[in-house]
Amino acid sequence: MNKNIPWVIKYRPRRVSDVVNQDQAKEKFIPWLRQWLQNRVPEKKAALFYGPAGVGKTSLVEAAAHEYGLELIEMNASDFRRKEDIERIAKIAATQMSLFGKRKIILLDEVDGISGSADKGGLDAILELIKVTRHPIVMTANDPWDQKLRPLRDASLMIPFNRLSERYVVQVLKRICAAEKLECEDAALKYIAQRSEGDLRSAINDLQAIAEGYGRVTLDIVKAVVVSRDRQYSPWEMLRNLFMSKYAWQAKRAVTHTDLDYDTVLQWINENIPNQYTDPEDVWRAYESLSRADIYLGRIKRSLSWDLLSYVFDLAGPGVALARKKSKFRWAKYSFPQKIMLLAKTKEMREIREALAETISKRIHASKSTVKRDVIPFLMIIFRERPDYAARIAIGYNLTDNMIKYLAGPTYSKIKEHMNLLLLRMEKPALASEESSSGAKESVTARAAPSPSSKKKATRRASRRRRRGGTQSTLPI
Amino acid sequence: MSSIAELLWAEKYRPRSLDDIVNQEEIVKRLKKFVEEKNMPHLLFVGPPGTGKTTAAHALAHDLYGENYLQYMLELNASDERGIDTIRTKVKEFARSRTPPGIPFKIVLLDEADNMTADAQQALRRLMEMYTTSTRFILIANFPSKIIEPIQSRCALFRFTPLKKEDVIARLKWICEQEKCKYTEEGLETIYEISEGDMRRAINVLQAAAAIGTVTPEIVYKVVGLAHPREIREMIKLALDGQFQRARDQLRQLMINYGLSGVDVIKQIHRELFSQELKIPEELRIMIADYAGEIQFRLVEGADDEIQLNAFLAWLTLLGQKMRGS
Repeated sequence: MNKNIPWVIKYRPRRVSDVVNQDQAKEKFIPWLRQWLQNRVPEKKAALFYGPAGVGKTSLVEAAAHEYGLELIEMNASDFRRKEDIERIAKIAATQMSLFGKRKIILLDEVDGISGSADKGGLDAILELIKVTRHPIVMTANDPWDQKLRPLRDASLMIPFNRLSERYVVQVLKRICAAEKLECEDAALKYIAQRSEGDLRSAINDLQAIAEGYGRVTLDIVKAVVVSRDRQYSPWEMLRNLFMSKYAWQAKRAVTHTDLDYDTVLQWINENIPNQYTDPEDVWRAYESLSRADIYLGRIKRSLSWDLLSYVFDLAGPGVALARKKSKFRWAKYSFPQKIMLLAKTKEMREIREALAETISKRIHASKSTVKRDVIPFLMIIFRERPDYAARIAIGYNLTDNMIKYLAGPTYSKIKEHMNLLLLRMEKPALASEESSSGAKESVTARAAPSPSSKKKATRRASRRRRRGGTQSTLPI
Repeated sequence: MSSIAELLWAEKYRPRSLDDIVNQEEIVKRLKKFVEEKNMPHLLFVGPPGTGKTTAAHALAHDLYGENYLQYMLELNASDERGIDTIRTKVKEFARSRTPPGIPFKIVLLDEADNMTADAQQALRRLMEMYTTSTRFILIANFPSKIIEPIQSRCALFRFTPLKKEDVIARLKWICEQEKCKYTEEGLETIYEISEGDMRRAINVLQAAAAIGTVTPEIVYKVVGLAHPREIREMIKLALDGQFQRARDQLRQLMINYGLSGVDVIKQIHRELFSQELKIPEELRIMIADYAGEIQFRLVEGADDEIQLNAFLAWLTLLGQKMRGS
């Protein structure tokens, strides 16, 4: 199964009955559609579906088209500007279907996206379309009450859609969990449903994002990731709103009306710019803007001038949203910031590296970052190429097994063999010269120091230093 | 082999006393004066990495206090401390501890002091004044200009210069003799070229090269090649090929798996730009270097290294597209 299909598409309703909790709308819509199918042209040739986002307006049209075997001609109304698009649709609409041809239904999505005088032509084109059409036209809108949409309202059968009640949202989420064989806690689904405020699409998007990010859906994760409503936006919604913004104020609103802190907002945008934009120039423009946002954030953190925060949002919001000049807006699958996940996954390894850097930094009097940059890479070479020599360095610095594993990778067991051999060899002269000393687990460094055969200045120095340090940890054997 | 333990040569062959330091003669002479007089002002050591600043500070303390000098010296690294507050607490505690016999002061060694913000340096200045009767500060920095004026004026300034080629090679040769490792003259010269006068780096390269085989230019280049994450070059290539997301994945590998900072990464990118392994039109190298410099500046100014470097990669991706288009 292709993992990249958004679930809102994968699980879109196939039949009218699959569209949940919109019986009133169906009661108006279906008889109107049947009239068309019986070749009786209704009084209103267009229907206008209106209501909040994600409650099934488009889905109902799609489900009906599927169920009644209609060819769906779909067009986003806000793109309804180019002359050739208009002409193409108009031609389809005005053509009587052939005897054996499929019946058609025309869907103009988001007609309230048409705005201002710039789009006057678009509005006229739609009205003209309604006049000439020989096929049913359905339009959708969130808010149809704008003055300029009045001619459309007059020409259409108005069909309201309501927010979905919570239990219907939960019901759909459950069905998806079962189909995806996902481990989902009921309480988690309920939480998602609650905060979706009847927006099934955002609920499904949240579910998918959590499932893909974490592999399971529990209340703990949901609470941590999904932000409580109050018209605050979850990360996914924040991104959707941001990238769909046509105006600077919308984009600014998207990044400020969220409970996420500014660092997290930047991380989500940082992760998802290339998911949204396809053209390299747009990607670069967006990152340039994000880079400048981050510079403001750096200045704020250093100088504590929090009144600069607004500029961070200007550049991370509108700056990124308006970077789109060449890419077309498209449905993008947003992902959880990989950096945060990678940091969580590599926590143990980074702690080992940090401890290793600290051990060495104290001995060679350099900062940990210098050690990480200038010393550890060379140690890694020695540990991977010369296990025998590495074994002696491991003993010299009392490195833990984990540190050796980090440095050596595949040669770890060879180094351990060499270390055991060396320690055994040490054991014999030590036992011969100091019969009183016994106990296999005694500190190796304590043995190494008094070894009479040891002439090496460096070893003496090392052991002296360790004595001064006072800790003589036992080497794992 | 009599001993079973081995050390990093950077530790093993670090000069212990001022007498062991063979270069920076002028500086050593002045420092020895302090030992003679058993008195000194606050000191500021500046100079490029690996020129012996930290070593000189330790040797000075060693010569002043003797073999157990570490109990009279507090060693701090500004890059590793969590801020001026922890530094203040440590200095305060240290100032209270026992004073050395015969010498009226102890030493606070603050390495990489130029990594402190101007505000933290102001606080440091007050700290220096507060404990001036019982402690002397030795501040170490790469760039004197990054140390605020009031601190500079309170310190005796010592400028460490990059080590001369013959000094570096003589030292490497001496180490090779101690370690009985095989080398060629050209091998050691290559190490000098690569390490750009940074003695610590030169010794690290030498040790890794000697561990693999005879120290020849080939082995030296092999070691340096292995030590540089190959992801850097791959990352540049991926971006120029238009694969921004994969380049970004490589970047994360570098920063998280190797623990490199953003500045480390951009510097390595810069080094890579002039390698012939990277096959791009010559004039592009300059353009990329220019933008890399811009990004390095932003890394210092900004808050999140990855965002800044992603901007760099996005630009490379765009450049790659234009390059293919023309």
